Amino acid sequence: MKIILSHLQKFLPDLKVDPAKLRDDITMIGHFTNFFEEIDGEIVFDLDIKVNRGDCLGYYGLARDLSVFYNLPLKNLSQENNSSSNYQLPIKITTDNVKRVMATKLSDLKNTQSPDWLKTFIKLHGNSSINTIVDLTNYIMFMYGIPNHAFDTAKSGDNLIWEMNSKYQEFISLDGSKLNLNKNILMINSPTKALSLSFWGGEACAIETNSTDIIVEMAVYNPTTVRQNSHQLKSVTEAGTRLEKELDPELIPTAFNHLIDLILENCNGQISSQIFDYYPKPISLPQIKFDFQKPSLTSGIDIPTDFSLDCLTRLGCEINNNIVIPPSIRPDITMDDDLVEEVVRFYGYQKIPTNQPITPKNIPDITPKEIYLIDSLKDKLINLGYDEVLTWPLVSTPVDKNSVITTQNSINTESIYLRQSLIPSLQQQLDQYTRFKLTNSQFFEIGKIFFQEGDKYIEQNALGIYCPDANKSISDLKQLNLNANIVDQNFAEIILDNLEKPDTYTPKVLNQSAYELTSQLIILDANITLDNQEDPLNLIKKYSDVIGPQILWEMVITDIYHDQKTGKYRYTFRVSYFNTDDKTAKEKHLSAFSLK
Amino acid sequence: MDQNLEQIKQKYLNKISSINSFPELEQIRVEILGRNGEINKLFSEIKNAANPREYGQQLNQLKTELETALSSKNILKSEKISEKLTNSIFSLPKIGHLHPITQTERQLNAVFKKLGFSIYNSPEIVTDEFNFERLNVPKDHPARDMQDSIYIKEPEYLLRTQTSTIESYLLQAQSKNLPIRAAFPGSVFRNEKVNRSNHFVFHQYQAVVVDKGITMKDLIGTMDLMFKTLYGPNVVVRYRCKYYPEVEPGVGPDMQCFNCHGVGCPLCKYAGWIEMGGSGMIHPKVLEKAGIDPKVWSGFAFGMGLDRWTMAQKNIKDIRTLMGGNLAYKPNL
Repeated sequence: MKIILSHLQKFLPDLKVDPAKLRDDITMIGHFTNFFEEIDGEIVFDLDIKVNRGDCLGYYGLARDLSVFYNLPLKNLSQENNSSSNYQLPIKITTDNVKRVMATKLSDLKNTQSPDWLKTFIKLHGNSSINTIVDLTNYIMFMYGIPNHAFDTAKSGDNLIWEMNSKYQEFISLDGSKLNLNKNILMINSPTKALSLSFWGGEACAIETNSTDIIVEMAVYNPTTVRQNSHQLKSVTEAGTRLEKELDPELIPTAFNHLIDLILENCNGQISSQIFDYYPKPISLPQIKFDFQKPSLTSGIDIPTDFSLDCLTRLGCEINNNIVIPPSIRPDITMDDDLVEEVVRFYGYQKIPTNQPITPKNIPDITPKEIYLIDSLKDKLINLGYDEVLTWPLVSTPVDKNSVITTQNSINTESIYLRQSLIPSLQQQLDQYTRFKLTNSQFFEIGKIFFQEGDKYIEQNALGIYCPDANKSISDLKQLNLNANIVDQNFAEIILDNLEKPDTYTPKVLNQSAYELTSQLIILDANITLDNQEDPLNLIKKYSDVIGPQILWEMVITDIYHDQKTGKYRYTFRVSYFNTDDKTAKEKHLSAFSLK
Repeated sequence: MDQNLEQIKQKYLNKISSINSFPELEQIRVEILGRNGEINKLFSEIKNAANPREYGQQLNQLKTELETALSSKNILKSEKISEKLTNSIFSLPKIGHLHPITQTERQLNAVFKKLGFSIYNSPEIVTDEFNFERLNVPKDHPARDMQDSIYIKEPEYLLRTQTSTIESYLLQAQSKNLPIRAAFPGSVFRNEKVNRSNHFVFHQYQAVVVDKGITMKDLIGTMDLMFKTLYGPNVVVRYRCKYYPEVEPGVGPDMQCFNCHGVGCPLCKYAGWIEMGGSGMIHPKVLEKAGIDPKVWSGFAFGMGLDRWTMAQKNIKDIRTLMGGNLAYKPNL
């Protein structure tokens, strides 16, 4: 969410903090701030607001946090509006998904293009300016985190009804999108027209520059209903993002009055109805028994009781002895551990030492034995020269259609089956290596394979192995005492679940290299003639050093001949290069073997 | 392989296998690989192929296979004048490699084992109860949006979306055998499109402690030890307030960006810090759901992703490389 510093300062006039420090402080108290930047002369912060802090989807909630953190007074920007009109709006609420609605009618307005400050505010929040009334409704939503709507009564009439949809098939939103409706959608309608969703205004009653009489409303709903509606209609709006959180119905009068003030200030006109306020079940706040020592006990550092008391008071909690009643704007605070977090975050997580890990302790080992088996097998296999690979657990082709487990909603439509064998995946790995001219690899994977038997889902640990030399793989498996299901000589698979497992095992901790190949290996041969016979491994080491590890993948000697006429020895090298181009590899090759 | 190419391959492999003399070898070599040979002829037709890219790959493969077959006849080059001394291929000893993710997991396991942790695991196909409900994420909780699940049978069975699910199984299994210290690497699944930066399967590492008198100081100190193990003693990590439904208070570790050292750069999205995972004191409701009395026992849990760290360490740019991709190991290093 974007936060403009100058508008945050409207709630906190005494906030005079360097933006970089403010960014870090906001982050430390729980609102990760990616960065700040200066745009159009404004300092703008970019924040991640967590799902439990619906209150901070408005400047006001964030300002409350900062007023506690910096110990600054919070300014009230709103004043109560008294209506002299006796007219009662004929509003009906027919669903218990509405927690609170405030509404009033404003008349004789002069709606125009928004003033510059408002246009800038709207633009910096990623929206387009529409007109003064619409922009002010959005401004108040950003400032307090509570969405609201304005209806042009020339189009909507005054008889607004909050209801679960029962008759409309289609809804056209303010941006012209057509949505197909069902019966579980919370709406605001006139007796004859679909006017608005809870989280998205409709085209049918849109405010335009010639609108003079309007009804403005501000409401808080059952967040689950809004969330479900938003999912059903696959529509995400700024209003929906807020209304699907627990918002504070007690904040509505403040925000609503501020909205009325601003509309009257900018568009003239007057209030032409009584203030409608529907609030059937005022929220009841939790009474939390709180041990003021608990912040210290939980954090592990000494946090003075006075600090806890002061912090919770400034946060707006009502405190009677050891009973704490959190403010209504903080529905996320429901238990003593929530209060602990409040105290500790304002005291400062950074005061908790980082150099005191948990003390070692002897506790009975509960490691499942198959983990020891898997670790020991991996070590044995790498000792035999096999490389470990990991492949996709979801595959495109089932081995056995009768027992395959199919995913229901995978968006990777080509990989919807849980694998039943490791071998097809290892075959794909081999194909991939062949494409890169990596032909002598021998590798294995240990991973889960999956089956369905009736209603049961079965997972098994399996070892899959590939070796280009079938005799070696058979002898290796024999050495490991494994009875494998041999598939076409080079591939084998073993189910590990029924094997005998070691009671314990300490695996090797290694730091080995691995490479992301982005092009084929370049394979070049070279013959060199020597007067005397030499140890081939020494020759490999010698020429490997000359070429260097940056581009040398592997070097082997494929042939050794003795020329009987000259008495000389000819060694044929096959060298694989990587991380280089053909030209450079050839130059290096010719130079290393003195071939030019 | 294309049927036509397969026929050509078989034709020449048969010819090569019947070669008995050096002149014959040269004749066939020119016929296949010469300037006007079969391979060059086929390459000149690549533009007419239905799928030139695939055809080109197959052609390269054919060329490699035929070159290999021809080289097996190199012995004929030295007929009469040379004596082949050995049939062996000499190379430095072949070394097997652990997958980089396994290497990282073992590095961390070793640290935690010294502190008395067991290593744990649990099924990958899980129920909604263990993946969400027991972790204080009821149905319709907005936190579910953070994890797009892959369902086996909606809404009950899914592939685990986080290693915290292993924590659910662990707490249930060990609720009568307290205290608990366990760490668990595991693969987890999200309904993500596979591309260079995202995968539907990735790897997380989590550690859990339940004991009497466990504090945030224990959590932060232990997590810091983990980061120092992975990133070295000079790594700068800050611990801040962060929300996860299964913990309270929640703690978010951020590592100072190793690229810009906190100044801000594209890698860290100009924050100067990189979010490294999540942690906190285990939520009392999570303990209660497992049958553990939160008035007596407390605990911490922390988790982090392994893929990004492993990719950075091995200079891997594409997350697909880690899983069945073009990850390769030098045979002798």
